[in-house]
Amino acid sequence: MRSCLSAVCRYEFRMQIRKRSLWISTIGLAALITVAQGDRGPRHLPAGTDAAVVMGSWALLFSMLLPIGFGMVLADRLVRDHRIGIASLLAGLPARTGALVAGKYAGSVAATAVPGLLVLCVAAAGEFVHRGDPALFGWAFAAFAVVLLPGLAFVAAFALVCPLVISAPLFRVLFAGYWFWGNMLGPDYLPSLTGTLLTPIGDYPASWLIGERALYAGEPGWLSFLRPEPGGGAALLSVALLIALAALPLAFAGPLTARRTSS
Amino acid sequence: MDIKISGLRRRFGRVEALCGVDLEVPGGMFGLLGTNGAGKTTLMRILAGVLAPTGGRVTVGGHDLATRAGRLAVRRRLGYLPQDLGLYPDLTTREFLDYIGLLKGLDDDAARRRQIGELLDMVGLADVAGRRLKGFSGGMRRRVGIAQALLGDPALVVVDEPTAGLDPEERIRFRTLLAHIAGHRTVLLSTHIVEDVAQTCQEAAVMAAGRVVFTGPVTGIVDRARGVTWEIVTQGPPPAAGVVVSAVGGPDGTRYRVVSPVRPDPAAVPVQPSLEEGYVALMREAAVPG
Repeated sequence: MRSCLSAVCRYEFRMQIRKRSLWISTIGLAALITVAQGDRGPRHLPAGTDAAVVMGSWALLFSMLLPIGFGMVLADRLVRDHRIGIASLLAGLPARTGALVAGKYAGSVAATAVPGLLVLCVAAAGEFVHRGDPALFGWAFAAFAVVLLPGLAFVAAFALVCPLVISAPLFRVLFAGYWFWGNMLGPDYLPSLTGTLLTPIGDYPASWLIGERALYAGEPGWLSFLRPEPGGGAALLSVALLIALAALPLAFAGPLTARRTSS
Repeated sequence: MDIKISGLRRRFGRVEALCGVDLEVPGGMFGLLGTNGAGKTTLMRILAGVLAPTGGRVTVGGHDLATRAGRLAVRRRLGYLPQDLGLYPDLTTREFLDYIGLLKGLDDDAARRRQIGELLDMVGLADVAGRRLKGFSGGMRRRVGIAQALLGDPALVVVDEPTAGLDPEERIRFRTLLAHIAGHRTVLLSTHIVEDVAQTCQEAAVMAAGRVVFTGPVTGIVDRARGVTWEIVTQGPPPAAGVVVSAVGGPDGTRYRVVSPVRPDPAAVPVQPSLEEGYVALMREAAVPG
């Protein structure tokens, strides 16, 4: 089981990291949001700003758009086996479906994280040129781990599993709609998940790093019990909830894959 | 590794793909012939443990496929080449084989790499081992497919329509390869191409409409057309009775070979049947109700 899991993880990583669309979408979206960040963006933070605040702001900025690209490129990872005609072969191997799914998830998340981490490191390098604080690099990793990575883990689970139920193109459209509704649409306008602990944009962890409300975290609105005041505990709870929610679709991935293979 | 199948059924919604298949497959190379839709692929997928049967019993090497332990035991000794196998385009040939080898439980790195090297040599892909699989021709893809099936030296190899769509040269090459690997193992070759079975198998079964309509030596299929195969040279239209198996134009007219239980034309003469004609005769028998 362990060697099978690590083999799937290793080769899924290799296949995903070689996907040109992953690099193009990540670099393209990162460039777009960097250019379009406006006066409130991290580029305009005053000199002497704490490195944690600077990199927390960059992580949140990238987290607004990058996960959309992540969701798009991850949406074919499980259904691809059926599309290209390798699912029957895999089903005839002694490897367990659970190990296949877990390996695919871990490998593709790890590979997708690489360009995300790299763009954040590039941002840290840019800031380092102006600010000269080497701590920026350390905070780039920390901000990536608490702001971008939990969101990626959450998005990846749904992107892998939902296309087993609905078509991948339909999932991509619905996912893009969900992203703006559930993360960026202010809770004043419509009942939405924006500003709750369940927002994969990383609003709570970013607020914790920045030391103040980053976007809408904790703003009054729908589902008030999911809107505690931002802080370290709330950030941790948000990360834990996102990871727990990611496990939910993955639990159905095995049976859904088996059903599709045997139909 | 022998296969014993009794009363095997598989239903997809309202369609009964297998309606009570009984078959015994001994060791060596065994052909499974049938038209498209006869149920061959369903049977292959059940044998590979990909599909569960709706009814009946299958044992492979004494392992009952109805049990989880039985399926796992068979999968450990199985090499499976599914119909229309796809390959991961972003992996190289060697990487793909390494991946499948690991999934088959070949954990010894050195032994696995050595075996991959031997298989690449055997299927003639050693010089493209480091090339990504995207852009491989149909024949090359099938050879990668058979190489992965042979990883782990399986006792049973199940190959489903391996030569469909290949050019004649590739098809011959592939058939030779299959006959070569059948030396010490059971190879079950499913195909609708009669020539593939004629050139590689001594024993075969024929399926039609979800049932086995023949099982035995390949020569037995030919025998089914003895006395019902005719040849006629005419400048007129093809004979109305029977099934025209071949028509070759020439200066004297067109030479037809026909499978028909009755003489299709007063000028028709009985001839020695081929395997293809035996197969056609079997299919006609199977199509007759009752």
